[in-house]
Amino acid sequence: MPTIEVNYEDLQELVGKHIPLDVLQEEGIMYAKGEVDEIEGETLKLDMKDTNRPDLWSAEGIARELQGRYAGITGLPEYNVQPSGLVVKVDRKLKNIRPLTVCAVVKNLNINHNALSQMIQLQEKISMTFGRNRKEVAIGVYDFHKIKGPIRFTSVKPNGIRFVPLEFTKPMTPEEILKKHPKGREYAHLLEGFHEYPIFIDSAGEVLSLPPIINSNHTGKVTTATRDVFIECSGFDFRLLMPALNTIVAALADRGGEVQSVKVEYGSRTVVTPDMKPGKTSLDIDYANMISGLNLDARKMSMLLKQARYDAKVRGKKIDLLYPAYRQDIMHQRDIVEDLIISYGFGRAEPVIPKIQTAGGVSRLQKLTDTAAEVMTGMQFQEIMSYMLTNKGALFEKMGMPKGSVVEIENTVSANWSVFRDRLLPGLLEFLSKNKHREYPQRIFESGDVVIPDSKAETGAVDRRHLSAAASGSGVGYEYMAGVLNAFMKNIGTDFSLKASNYPSFIEGRCAEITVSEKVIGIIGEIHPKVLNMWGIENPVVAFELDIEKAFTSAS
Amino acid sequence: METNIYSSGRGVVIYRITDEGRRYIREGLPEERLLKILKKPMLIVEVRRKAKDFTIALAWAKKRGWVKIEKNRIAAVKAPAKAEEKEALKRLAQGKTVPEKTLSLLVRRKLVVKEKEDAFRRAEKLIGKEVNALPPELIKTGLWKKVKMRPYNVEAVGPVIYPGKRHPYNRFLSDVRDKLVQLGFKEMEGPTIESEFWNFDALFQAQNHPSRDWTQTYTLKKPKTGSLPSPDIVSRVKAAHENGWKTGSTGWGYKWDPAKAAQLMPRAHGTACSARQLASGVEVPGKYFAIKRCFRPDVIDATHGVEFNQCEGIIIDESMTFRKMLGMLKMFAMEIAGADDVRFYPDYYPFTEPSVQLSAKHPDMGWIEFAGAGIFRPELTEPLGVKQPVIAWGLGIDRLAMFRLGIKDIRQLFSQDIDWLRKQKVMI
Repeated sequence: MPTIEVNYEDLQELVGKHIPLDVLQEEGIMYAKGEVDEIEGETLKLDMKDTNRPDLWSAEGIARELQGRYAGITGLPEYNVQPSGLVVKVDRKLKNIRPLTVCAVVKNLNINHNALSQMIQLQEKISMTFGRNRKEVAIGVYDFHKIKGPIRFTSVKPNGIRFVPLEFTKPMTPEEILKKHPKGREYAHLLEGFHEYPIFIDSAGEVLSLPPIINSNHTGKVTTATRDVFIECSGFDFRLLMPALNTIVAALADRGGEVQSVKVEYGSRTVVTPDMKPGKTSLDIDYANMISGLNLDARKMSMLLKQARYDAKVRGKKIDLLYPAYRQDIMHQRDIVEDLIISYGFGRAEPVIPKIQTAGGVSRLQKLTDTAAEVMTGMQFQEIMSYMLTNKGALFEKMGMPKGSVVEIENTVSANWSVFRDRLLPGLLEFLSKNKHREYPQRIFESGDVVIPDSKAETGAVDRRHLSAAASGSGVGYEYMAGVLNAFMKNIGTDFSLKASNYPSFIEGRCAEITVSEKVIGIIGEIHPKVLNMWGIENPVVAFELDIEKAFTSAS
Repeated sequence: METNIYSSGRGVVIYRITDEGRRYIREGLPEERLLKILKKPMLIVEVRRKAKDFTIALAWAKKRGWVKIEKNRIAAVKAPAKAEEKEALKRLAQGKTVPEKTLSLLVRRKLVVKEKEDAFRRAEKLIGKEVNALPPELIKTGLWKKVKMRPYNVEAVGPVIYPGKRHPYNRFLSDVRDKLVQLGFKEMEGPTIESEFWNFDALFQAQNHPSRDWTQTYTLKKPKTGSLPSPDIVSRVKAAHENGWKTGSTGWGYKWDPAKAAQLMPRAHGTACSARQLASGVEVPGKYFAIKRCFRPDVIDATHGVEFNQCEGIIIDESMTFRKMLGMLKMFAMEIAGADDVRFYPDYYPFTEPSVQLSAKHPDMGWIEFAGAGIFRPELTEPLGVKQPVIAWGLGIDRLAMFRLGIKDIRQLFSQDIDWLRKQKVMI
């Protein structure tokens, strides 16, 4: 869901028709699966919804969709491709580093300010979102006249070559670039662990770029004065690289550029790119109506699809379709049905309230939880809610407990939220520690899931629904909490007993295990003052915690 | 209620005649009544039928040596001497004194109870005075007639009391749950820690494809990997990714890696529960929902948390269409959000096609993005064994909860301020 900026005037020029701003906002932009987020003067900030349609992430692509509805330009946009004669030789050495590239040449461009900013933006958004932050797709655009073919896509040792990277003045080795250049530092992880780095180099020995990191300052700089460009996309999968290249080529062609192909040689195998040949598919008319509920006839359906820039021919109960080469998102008829509905207009499709009779119900676990909460609130306990994510300090150190095994996050946002809670009680103590200056007594409880590592479980861990209650204030003691627990268990109809026990979080001799049919289902006790000190709590705290499902097991 | 005061040497004691004692004053002691029946030896069963309070009567008559039992008959041994208890009860009822020995006999027979002297003394001292509280002694002795009850400032606001309450956010979620149940939805469950298989692969999100980056997700340091479901499901999902299986799709066209699918992660969206539900079997027609904690490594601010609740669900029905989906969403917006107008926009989810976003116009909040929905892709539903169209929807309940609770920062939903919780009104 990239956010892009386009110039309103530029967009209308590309469409070839004036579109009032309110029409664009309320209706037009929906044809490109977008939303106008903000308007700043001539600049429209757009939220483009479809992560799988990079062709819609530039003014040129949006204009194509709008032409179908507002300028009477329907059907397949056509792109002519002439051979450029340029050859790119791909070295086998790249097999495990960055094995593939697809390339194109576009000539006779008249790159004004809008065209340039759209090109740069499109390139960035594709490599960021569609190219998974350059990992799958990295794109380079170069001044064609500064390159002497054939080009080689090969690899070099980290310090095996020197060139001036973009926006720098001194030549650097790839190794230096990864350490010193801002882009080098940002993307160095993509080349981590390789003994050689990928490089585009021309026959004069001039380096074009170090993909997926940076272009050279000499060849890889495009300005409004540039007339002809060479474009390459590198990565691992043609299914991502081809539509990325085709999208950029189509955008430049829409601005009057002449597209020329490049021969990319993989040993004896040659791939000629860009391949702008349209894709072929067909749509079953009944299926389209069954999914959409729109009940359209074949004529209307093909008209709507032509507006969505397909070529459409009715053949019996089907419509044969051609779609542009920059689209790689059409895998199933269903994808075409969506285009059809968008073309029809989401605002025009009349909602129908379905009449489907089913019996509803909450889960058993939720019922038990609500019952437990009802009993606790009846004893004047206030329910609290905590995050399931916490940290080892709260779970172990501050509870006076030895470190135990918990589910741990790898890519943490904050050390505070680095593991999953395996008990609720630490959260209750944290809550009490934040309310030292509030009125006492404080009686709180929480019912929620805790996560227990379990190597035998399908997902390596199991959820248990726990109930924990704590009371704090002067004069609050073990006996009181034992009474609360007793009332709780009596009211849910479960016989239980308490067995003296020792847990480091509790005062010795003031702690017991809660057992039901000889099985331990929880614990009750008075919190040890050393634990209170660590949380900074100044009043005594008594608490219990139990497993809700186990507590209800013997309930009659 | 009769109360009788007996002054002993040690002070004032109250002896109160029990209901049983009062009955014996009227009817006579059970053992006396027994002797009246027993003109000649009689069968025990017969006596039992005729004598009221038979068990008590027999016990005391035997104790006093008035009767004996021979085989199955009871016979009077001698004429009864006058029993002191009845006389003592009568005297007590008249407020006269009774020897202490007799009193303890009456207490033993539970015909009289002895009450605390201090409470009564205290009550007695209040005679003629103005009182605040009404002690039980004043009420039951009737001495309340002899005191003046001080009038209170009844218009003063009472003291602060903090009742035990559900958390307001949980209360709100319960409310949503109730409405969904009323609309015929059954609640689903699913684990917090998921495999990538259920979070992504079963939802037809290709490995190493941008659709996988649709949301930021957490990865785990430990545990790292789990196990995959039944080989049947796994092979169908694999085929759907690689070549579309039998769905009529091209699939993603890459080699699907089971090791990647077995990696564990915290659930990133409630849709993982829906995938599990579809695979484990669903009713047709069927409606299911889940309100679950989800986890994403987002930048934390007033509208984003790393942990939040998602309300998601599915509807399975042969006749489901895009237009019916719009109708369902419109109903949600009106029933759950109290919206009076709705608008639909195209949207994108990797697992639905077509996809829609619903904005709802709330009379006070204005336009809000309220729901996202779509029809699950056939590459998702068919490998999980479901042929019918399945609508998947998710509601932006956190936003609605914030509005209902009058808060501006999403973090306050998990507020750690007890005063805020104490002051929250109980919503209807």
